[in-house]
Amino acid sequence: MPVTESPPVAIQALGLRKSFRVKDQAVEAVSGLDLTVAAGQIFGFLGPNGAGKTTTLRILTTLLPADAGQAFVAGADVMRNPQQVRRRIGYVGQLGGADGSATGLENLLLQARLYGMTAAAAASRAEELIELFDLRAFAGRIVRSYSGGQRRRLEVALGILHRPQVLFLDEPTTGLDPQNRANLWNQVRHLRDGGTTVFLTTHYLDEADQLSDRLAIIDRGRVIAEGTPAQLKQRYSGDTISITPSGPPDSLESLERELAGIPLVRSTRIEDGSIRLAVTDATRSMAAVFAALAGSGIAVRAAALAQPSLDDVFLHETGRSLRDAGGPTGGPATERPAGEQVAA
Amino acid sequence: MTFALQSGLLFRRKLLETLRQPVWIITGLSTPLLYLALFEPLLRSVAGGPSLPAGHVLNVFVPGILALMAFGAGMGAGWVVIWELDSGVIERLRVTPASRFALLLGAVLRDVAMFVVPGIVVIGIAIGFGFTAHWDGLALILVLLALLTAACSATSAALGISLKQIGSLAAVVTGVQLPLTLLSGILLPLSLGPDWLRVLGHLNPMYYTVQAARDLAAGTITTTAVGTGFLVTGAAAALAMWWGTRSYQRAMT
Repeated sequence: MPVTESPPVAIQALGLRKSFRVKDQAVEAVSGLDLTVAAGQIFGFLGPNGAGKTTTLRILTTLLPADAGQAFVAGADVMRNPQQVRRRIGYVGQLGGADGSATGLENLLLQARLYGMTAAAAASRAEELIELFDLRAFAGRIVRSYSGGQRRRLEVALGILHRPQVLFLDEPTTGLDPQNRANLWNQVRHLRDGGTTVFLTTHYLDEADQLSDRLAIIDRGRVIAEGTPAQLKQRYSGDTISITPSGPPDSLESLERELAGIPLVRSTRIEDGSIRLAVTDATRSMAAVFAALAGSGIAVRAAALAQPSLDDVFLHETGRSLRDAGGPTGGPATERPAGEQVAA
Repeated sequence: MTFALQSGLLFRRKLLETLRQPVWIITGLSTPLLYLALFEPLLRSVAGGPSLPAGHVLNVFVPGILALMAFGAGMGAGWVVIWELDSGVIERLRVTPASRFALLLGAVLRDVAMFVVPGIVVIGIAIGFGFTAHWDGLALILVLLALLTAACSATSAALGISLKQIGSLAAVVTGVQLPLTLLSGILLPLSLGPDWLRVLGHLNPMYYTVQAARDLAAGTITTTAVGTGFLVTGAAAALAMWWGTRSYQRAMT
């Protein structure tokens, strides 16, 4: 057997399960989730709202006991040795967690002391973070008065204060403006370059695509696809067709219904004025699609073999669009990969 | 010792939070003072029976007021807890290696301080009105009622964590507040009431606290009521702190 050097594992989850009782009914939020995250990378956890991302994260960060399964984070067993895990991880939750009635500096100092630093060490570490995250101008002010971006910066600083091996970020850029978002992305990359493993959940396609080194797509409590963003998209590169009709936008839906009826078309979604089809065999499907278009008499401006996006990957795996799967996502503008245009 | 250090740090955090909202300090003081100013004259005019001898009204009334302050200082804890759940503070603290008991204790100690300091002020003012001070008894009253505050604070925190919503917490707290305080004889001794009321009172742990506080205020320290009061209040505090700590261990948001 060939011996391969594999990087150390930062996070490993095996058969995680967690269900909640909602109105006397057990709802399984995480159902047999397996996950392996190598150390030193940014790992994206992409899925629609309600897919089980946050529940998984809360299990991995010792906040929530799992019903079944095992999890190891930074070399310690989450169920058996949560205290050890807590020393080695950082966590920035969706809610943030900065204490609004204290100043930024007080937040930093208390956090440092709770991780066992001496008063002197806490003060110098707080100073470093104030510098690193550019908090100087408002570190002495009560956090309640911060803007969203200032607050988020402080919260990330709190999360990495004790130099954790693994940093968990739950939807870190939700509610941030584009500039703060870009800044946070840079900080996350910087942390990764320094050797920190970053595990982040997101429902933004572009965030998962551009920021993650690897990512897992989660739906209904289990991982349905895992790999680098390029690998995942490559998997369906020959299987996505984009049709842009030249008529008014309201003709899109009737055309979508018609195209969905073609046997080779597995699922469809509408995006930016065109219909994207997930098909089994693009070459054969193309002919069938053209035949259907000709039959319907709808004029088509462009038909293309499209470069799949992560949403197409989700569509292929689940038959649903990520955007529709979990209610409104309201993400910032998503960068579109250019399709190979074929004249229709 | 890490636990003591963490509790101290978390206590300081809560204390700073309070000092930055002086409104609460003012209401904490004005309510008992209003009772003294408005209720005491009323009480004086009904006094005169064997249960409420004239001339000693204040001596019966002040321990009750102090117990009410101790109760009130603790029962508000749940509101803050819910606010901290909603802003993610508790979640952030729970991911640190900090002791879960210390997370609870920081807030409990703040509530105790928020009882003891105004309590001393109220005692001082009551002495000015003619309250007879027995110093050793008063010192023990503060200890006893600090235990009551701790019990109420930990209970309220545990309720806050499990109910998660201000509305539900308010319903539960106001629901238990009236029977608990009325059936403890805080404002008027239960001995004034009929038998069935006294029986009900004996089922209320706070009754024993107030009985002990009355004896202590009178300067009688070695009575059975004092022993029972400390035992019941201490047990309630221990039980509530255990419940509160468990709630911090398992908090879900």
